[in-house]
Amino acid sequence: MPSSAPSFRDPAGCCLVFNHRVLRFVAAGALAEFEDFLQTAAANKFNAERKLVSSRRLTENETAELRAAPELKTVFAALNVSAVFEHGRVPFVSYPHEWSPEMLWEAGKLTLDLARAALADGFGMKDATPHNILFRGHEPVFVDMLSFERRHPGDAIWKPYAQFVRTFLLPLLANRRWGLSVAEIFTTRRDGLQPEEVYRWCSPLEKFRPRTLSLVSIPAWLSRKVNPDEQKIYRPHLVGDPEKARFILESLFNRLERQLRALAPAAQNISTWSDYMATHSYDDPAFAAKEKFVAEALAEFKPARLLDAGANTGHFSALAAQAGAAVVSVDLDAACVGQIWRRTQEKHWDILPLVVDLARPSPALGWRNREQPSFLERAAGAFDGVLMLALIHHLLVTERIALEEILRLAAELTNQLLVIEFVEPNDAMFRRLTRGRNHLHAGLNATVFEGACAEHFEIVRSLALPETQRRLYCLKRKADQ
Amino acid sequence: MAAPPERLKMILAYVDPGLGALVWQTVISAFVGFLFYLKKTRRWIVNFFRKIFGSRPIEPKSTSPVVESAEIKPDAR
Repeated sequence: MPSSAPSFRDPAGCCLVFNHRVLRFVAAGALAEFEDFLQTAAANKFNAERKLVSSRRLTENETAELRAAPELKTVFAALNVSAVFEHGRVPFVSYPHEWSPEMLWEAGKLTLDLARAALADGFGMKDATPHNILFRGHEPVFVDMLSFERRHPGDAIWKPYAQFVRTFLLPLLANRRWGLSVAEIFTTRRDGLQPEEVYRWCSPLEKFRPRTLSLVSIPAWLSRKVNPDEQKIYRPHLVGDPEKARFILESLFNRLERQLRALAPAAQNISTWSDYMATHSYDDPAFAAKEKFVAEALAEFKPARLLDAGANTGHFSALAAQAGAAVVSVDLDAACVGQIWRRTQEKHWDILPLVVDLARPSPALGWRNREQPSFLERAAGAFDGVLMLALIHHLLVTERIALEEILRLAAELTNQLLVIEFVEPNDAMFRRLTRGRNHLHAGLNATVFEGACAEHFEIVRSLALPETQRRLYCLKRKADQ
Repeated sequence: MAAPPERLKMILAYVDPGLGALVWQTVISAFVGFLFYLKKTRRWIVNFFRKIFGSRPIEPKSTSPVVESAEIKPDAR
């Protein structure tokens, strides 16, 4: 069975995951153009830099095998497929509603860089949306290869301009100006923010600031003045001189890049949890013991893929990445995730930081909830190891999730290792979170915790952290799970 | 220049081109197009005087790395 529904908006083709292979089905009319693009200097350059996903055309025999697969019959019939390409897999698929503003910014930069390079090769873009991009660790990879099309040399209009503004610039503006998270924007809106929507949020003064004027106010005013039924607006506007068309487009890309740079997320975003590493309740010996325990578990189990749940600013994600794991770090705090991303980019670690609240993980989105699978659907069984450090009390107390449920989720996420920190109800942070509701957790202790673990895990070892009310457990998932 | 491809008509049908944003882009494009002619005229005048004084003429420069313009192939559509 196809493990993902086909993408369907572009009439030139679609992409789906079939038997763990990423396949792109290209319609007859679009094949020559697609193959031409793959030969361009831009495609070769970005491919070499691993910023463009690799593409291999399947042989006749391989394509014939796929044609025979009953699950793919509708795809072949609907598209009049003339060729199938296989793309390199990105280890963990993430979506814009799970990115920090830094990641959205980086995706926007890659989109502009590609648009500019493709222009030099005579190609334009059909769309400019963050949905064209995935992250391999901290590095963005452009994956929607059918986004490129030959442009008319005299065409001075960048078709996806409005979409680039809606899906990159306005979300970054809303994030900076009103603190609207990227997750909030893209969970509820596939195509970003409309200028008219942002216009309503702006104060009278704000509407006349130069950046807002160009991105929000003028487009909003024009959309009121222009007759929306006037089809002439949408006809191609060709200029006679190709050099002039390119001059106009290069100038547009320069302007968009300046606007993108001006909207870069601030380096020092502060949140409730972003200073946790400086303010946590461990003293030095306890923290050193915790580090040693985690490092030993990583050395013993050597997880190739690891999920750091509740990663905060990624101290233990970094430890795992340095031990050789490909890490996905999740935290509900976008400022923390942004910090992980900055540090990862600087150190070149294999860490993909995502804004995910484990108590409310990203839902399945899109048409029939099939375009973007939920976080748990993507994460289940995808990891050899899971870290849940200083997390359990937040789930137990703040989210009121039962202990057994937390361990059941952990068992669904990991294939082998779980390193989990148990926090006693008389721990200072635990008490702060309960806010007088201590009686709800009166019976919770290490023995009860170990009993709950026994259903899914074997206890390999545990360690009481000195001078704290906390205990670390190294658990191995039972084979029959 | 090659004839405008038929396909140009359907490109806009795939991604929402916006309304105000599209008109705004068209307006800016017209303005930048005017700047292009100013720049071209300036280059022509400078080259005219360079020619008189025997200097090398100024070549048009592009901000993009590759300047080769690809022709639209009829068979690509």
